[in-house]
Parts: sequence; C-alpha cells; structure tokens
Amino acid sequence: MKKQWRKSVVSVLSILLIFTLIFAGCGSSATNEPTDEPSNTEGTATNDQPQEQPADEGTYLEQAYAGKFKGTKVSMFGPFADADEVKFNNSIKEFEEKTGIDIQYQGSKEFEATINIRVEGGNAPDIADFPQPGLLANFVKSGKVIDVSTFLDGSHLKSNYNQSWIDMATMEGKDGEIMAGIWNRSNVKSLVWYPKKQFEEAGYTVPQTWDELIALSEQIAADGDQAWAIGIESGAATGWAATDWIEDIMLRTTTPENYDKWVKGELSFTSDEVKNAAKKMTEIWFNDDYVYGGRKSIVTTSFGDAPKPMFDNPPKTWLHRQGNFITSFFPEGLEAGVDYDWFYLPSIDEQYGKPVLVAGDIYAMFNDRPEVRAVMEFFTTGESIKTWVQSGGVIAPMNDASLDWYASDMDRRMAELIQNASTIRFDGSDLMPGSVGAGTFWKGMTDYASGTVDLDEAMEEIEAGWNK
Amino acid sequence: MKKKEKKRSKWLVNTVLGIISIIWLIPTLGLFISSFRPATDILQTGWWTIFPHRAWETTVELELSKDVDLRQPIEIDGTSYTDEELRKGIKINDQRLIWENRRARIVNVQDKVWNMNTDFTLENYMSVLTGKEYSIMQPDGSVRVEKGSDLSQAFWNTVAVSIPGTIIPILIASFAAYAFAWMNFPGRRVMFVIIIALLVVPLQVALIPVLKDYTALGLNGSLLGIWLAHTAFGLPLITYFMYNYISQLPRDIFESAYIDGASNFSIFSRLVLPLSVPALASISIFQFLWVWNDYLVALVFIGSQPDVQVLSMKIADLVGSRGSDWHLLTSAAFISMLMPLTVFFLLQKYFVKGLLGGSIKG
Repeated sequence: MKKQWRKSVVSVLSILLIFTLIFAGCGSSATNEPTDEPSNTEGTATNDQPQEQPADEGTYLEQAYAGKFKGTKVSMFGPFADADEVKFNNSIKEFEEKTGIDIQYQGSKEFEATINIRVEGGNAPDIADFPQPGLLANFVKSGKVIDVSTFLDGSHLKSNYNQSWIDMATMEGKDGEIMAGIWNRSNVKSLVWYPKKQFEEAGYTVPQTWDELIALSEQIAADGDQAWAIGIESGAATGWAATDWIEDIMLRTTTPENYDKWVKGELSFTSDEVKNAAKKMTEIWFNDDYVYGGRKSIVTTSFGDAPKPMFDNPPKTWLHRQGNFITSFFPEGLEAGVDYDWFYLPSIDEQYGKPVLVAGDIYAMFNDRPEVRAVMEFFTTGESIKTWVQSGGVIAPMNDASLDWYASDMDRRMAELIQNASTIRFDGSDLMPGSVGAGTFWKGMTDYASGTVDLDEAMEEIEAGWNK
Repeated sequence: MKKKEKKRSKWLVNTVLGIISIIWLIPTLGLFISSFRPATDILQTGWWTIFPHRAWETTVELELSKDVDLRQPIEIDGTSYTDEELRKGIKINDQRLIWENRRARIVNVQDKVWNMNTDFTLENYMSVLTGKEYSIMQPDGSVRVEKGSDLSQAFWNTVAVSIPGTIIPILIASFAAYAFAWMNFPGRRVMFVIIIALLVVPLQVALIPVLKDYTALGLNGSLLGIWLAHTAFGLPLITYFMYNYISQLPRDIFESAYIDGASNFSIFSRLVLPLSVPALASISIFQFLWVWNDYLVALVFIGSQPDVQVLSMKIADLVGSRGSDWHLLTSAAFISMLMPLTVFFLLQKYFVKGLLGGSIKG
C-alpha cells in the first residue's frame, strides 16, 4: 500500500517537473526576444567594420566590382521557386562572376511560415524577399531589419524610384522610421486581359471609360456570350482575387489618401467609400449575363482556370481582370500581343486620374556585412533584373531599367503604365495585417460573392478582422 | 451452432475490412490513373472517365437564325426554350439540346453513347524524373530551353537523411529500453516517466529553440543536424515501443545469462538484439516512413538549397511559384512512394507482429 502510494507520487512529481521545465523554457525564450540583438553572431562580429571604411573607396557596389569581396557568400531566401528561380539565378549570374560574391538563393513555397521560424531561431538569411510588405512590417517593428538608408545613397534612390515606391519601403521601426528594404520586382494588377485576335474580328473596341466597359459587356451579352471570366477559388486563400477588384475600384472612386487610410484601418470597411466600390464591382459580378457561368460560379472557379475559356475557339468569354502573372496560367502555344493582350482597367471618375494598382517584392536585409550591403546596392539597379525583364513576366520598378529591355510590346506598355501613372498604390490586402488582409477580407468577399451574406454583413465581417 | 456463428462473424469482419480498404484505395487508384493522363485531360475530366461510361455526344448541329434574341424564348423545331435551359442542356426523350456556340447561335443535338477516355501519356513521369523544361526568352528574341534539375540529387539527399535518421534513434532507444526494463539504477522510474511524458510534446514547440542552438553550433543545413533532430524527435516513441517489447522477454534467460557471468552489454548484444528483431523491424518501418515523408523538420533544419534539398521539398516546388503545374504532383507522389513501399515489403513479415508488439502484455 505504502509502496504504491510512493510510486504514484514519483510519477506525479516527475510529470510536474517536466511541465515546469517546458513552460520555463517557453517563458524565458519569450521574455528574451526583445533584448535579442537584431540578427546573428556573424553580423555583429563584422558590424563595426563597415562604418570605418573610408569614403573615398566608393560605394559598396563599386568595391564589390573591384573584387574586394571575392569568395564571400550572401544567403537569400524568398518565396519564388521553379521557373522564377531559374530566371532569378540567370539575372544575378553576371554580377556573381564579376564580383566573386556567391549569392545563394533558397526558394520555398512555405516562405511566409518559415521566415518567422528562421528569424526567431537566429538563422535569418542575409536578404529576404517579401512579396507582402505587411509581413515585413512585423519584423521591422521588432527591430530585426537593418535600415538600408544608412548605407544607400538617398539621392540615387530618389532618382531611380518613383516616390511612391520609396514611401512604401519606409516603415515604422523600433526606434522611429526606417527604410526597410528596396523594391526589386513589381507586377501590375490593373489589367484586363482579352483574346486579341478574336476580339478584333468580332469588331469590339477597347473601352476607355468605365461606361464603355459596361457597354462592351452589354454588347457581348447581346452577341450571346458572357463577357467576364471571374474566378476567386484558391484553396485556403480563396477570395484574394476579389480583394484586388475592390482595391482597383477604390483607387478609381476615391482619393489616394482615403485608400491609404483604408489600408491602415482608419477608414472602415463599413464606410460609404468602400461600400460604393463594392457596389460598383457588383455591376459586373452579380449580373448573370456578364459573368461566365453566372455569379454562382465565381467562388467555385479557380483563379488560374478562370481565364482558360477565353482561349477556346471561339472564345466562350472575353475579359479577365488580373495581374500580369496570370499569363503563366494561359494555355501553352499562345503568342503574346497576337492571341492575347491587355488593356488598362478604365477610370471611373476622371478626377482621380489614372491610378495603377501594383504588387511587388521588397528585399530586406537581416545581417549587416559589407558584401551584403554591396548586393543590396546591386539590387537597386535596373541591371540586377535585366535578363529577367528580357525573358518576360516581370516589371522593373527602377527608372534606369530601359524600356528597350522588355521582351514584348505588351510588357513594355505595362512598364510605361507604371511610369506614367498618376498614383501608384500597393495591393492593399498585402499591406493590411494578416487577420484582415489574408483573413476576413478574403472570407468576407467570398461570402459576399456567393450570396450567403449581403453587403452590410460582409463589410462588418471584414471590419471585425481589425479587432482580432 | 457455435462454430457456424463464429464463421459468420468472421465473414462479416472480412467484408467490413474489405470495404474499408477499398474506400482507402480509391483515392490512391485515382491518383495513379491521373498520373498517366495528359495535363489538359486532368483539368477537364475526372480519372473515372477512363472506364466505359455513357456520355453525351453530338449527333446534329442546328444552326439558328443569327438574329435570334437570346433574352426571349428561343424556338427550335416548334418548341420554345429559354436561354437558361439551353445553357444547362435540356432533355427531350433520349436526346439533349445544348448550346454549342451561343454567339453563332448553334445548338447541339446530343445522344447518350458509351464512351471511354483512353488517352495516356508518360509525360508527367518524364518531366518529374528528368527535370522540368523552362523556356526562357533571350534578349535577341529567341527562346532558350533550360532544363531544371532532376530528382536524383534530392533522392540521394533523402536517402542520406533517412537511413541514419532511422538507425541512430533505434540504436539509442534499444539501449535505453533494455536499461529501463532490466537494469536497476537510481532514478530509473522518474527518467522513464519523463520520456513517456515527452511523447505528448509536439515537436513544433521545439523548432525555434533548437534552431537557435543549431545556429550557435553551426549545425544548420548540415546532415548531422537533421540526423540529431530526427533522432531526438523520434526517441520517446521508439524507446517506449522497444521497452514494451524488451520488458516482455522471459526473465529466465536474463537470470541464466547473468549466472553464467555475462555482462549487461553482452546480454544486450547477444540476447536482446537478436530476440527483438521483429520489434526492431517494425519500428524501423515507422521511423523510416516518418523521416522519408517529413517536410517540416527538413524545411526548418536543412532548407531548400539544391545540394541538400530532400525529396518532399523538391516535389512541393515542382508545382511552380503559383501552383500552375499541380498535375505533376500525381506522378511525383508515386515516385516518392517507391522507396517506402520497397522498405515496407522487405520488412513486411515483421510488420504485423510489430503492430501487436505493444498490445499483448503477459
């Protein structure tokens, strides 16, 4: 009897011991975090060296070309893999050969989840590629990202980037605002794709205003087709394609200042501005004569499959609003500019000019070493993305990227569109915190499109994400 | 009477089990069939259409007058239909009317006929095995085809990770299990309870602390690092499993060996190890499958550099940055399945014994 009692006491005690150990471990690591130095041991070891460099040796990039950092390695981590990875490696090949710096790129489809673990675990890459500035902002807030304005020449940046890009790279850090990274790639979202050859054969013309766009949809409907290919299904991310529509229409129906406020959460989703944008969208979305397969098919059609019926012969549907990346989903064997082309999603209210919705990749720096600085400086030049631009599918945000580089007329017109835009704004859902931008915004739009909730309920549902 | 009942219940159990295993097999079969179908077919029709089935096939195309207003009832052969009906297809007797081309005002008259989709290809396997082809436009406008890397590097990386990742923890755990079962030392109970309690700790909570230590030790991205990680994450279960088996070995052999003057090490290596082959084999299968299929641990501790990347990560990247090539997953899944299947069939005869290993206690 006594023995048994003793046995169970031992077990209970040891289990308690383990749990206290575990919780103590978690607790201490949690409290340690803020005091942790921004990056890793390597970084701090060489930290002072850069500042001591005499200025007359030139910028880090010039030093790199002079062969000063030969044999060093710079690790890079980002979400693009597969074909994009091949294109990226091609675009840095020349730099690597000239400078002797080895840029080791790692691509992972689980970038968003992994980058957190790696930074917290002290294994941050030297440079990380963020397609979502909102995600980067979290790291900036905790002081883990290095301020690139400390070593990059401000006047060079100003002349090489549209002011909107620089503003978008400036984020709130632990001790005031810092320049959190540099923009290296961009893509344009305000595009409407159409099957060019058949479009012209059918006698349609590219609309210049929103009213003309609706008139074109009506004309196509009368001819017997449903004009718009819309699909927002995307697995766990279902609904993101709808957020782009709202953002694009927001820019066309209200001021850029209101858009910024909206993205920051200061302008509510339940406000008239946002509701008005949603209503404008439903002029097309909820009209069964305009949407291929009708409204009910919007939420069940995959965003990648949506444009495919445009390329049936004859086209089953004619218009598709999506960013320039969508061409990789088009059936093989189509020729850009001949079989398909794009036009700018027309303005709705003239007073807001020609706004363009963009997305892009910002490169942020986690470890401060001279060779990393050189690579970052390299990424601010158009040269760093030249071969990628030439192979198509990407737009360079830098001004020194020549328009001649673009492989097709189609890409060149996109670059011109960005350069001539009255306002450039980043994809809002990527800037909002994850609980909204990758949460209720997606879900609310999906519910609204499928008809399970009405406009007011949908907007309240989305707005609730800010309180999470 | 009783015998008959027993027979009947056996028959019942077998039927239920049979049905369950068929249900489990259907998705795998579907995946297997899909892996041989061309990408465009996978997108358009289900894998079951390769079996004979009845489908609508157009027999006649009716061309209506060009100025038929689609928003009014549409008259065909004296009956009028709405546009809605014609979009979905409307049945009349054995035939169906459906739009072929609304723009050209062509209506299909269709009959149901037996049909089979027998278009097969090895292309999915080719592009997975030999590497995908990327067409990259050159500055001068020509297109250069660049071949992506094939699976062999990733395959050998996975072998290099999984074999030590299976052997090391099993070796350590068997030593530990023997000690817990047959040796007397202070703190034995407490330590054993700690190990059992570690079974319930999810490995995810350990990722960041372990990664911090690895960074300090410079083990990130090295094979040694991932072996250690898999060993540590696998140890509690393997120790528990081996303990259950080893503690059930008859006490008499140990006593006689001890009387004959055998040391603990020779008892372990000469008696315990040979006697526990069934348990070792079955836990090897478990651990090997776990390490082979692992994505998370490899992602965190090895990363996706091509020279160390494991198979599961390589396969996940095959679909492309935006997931447009997901049809390749069908064949990739079967290729990565080959190795675990081989291991399973080699060790299969121990497997069932091992499954019972923890359950029957004297």
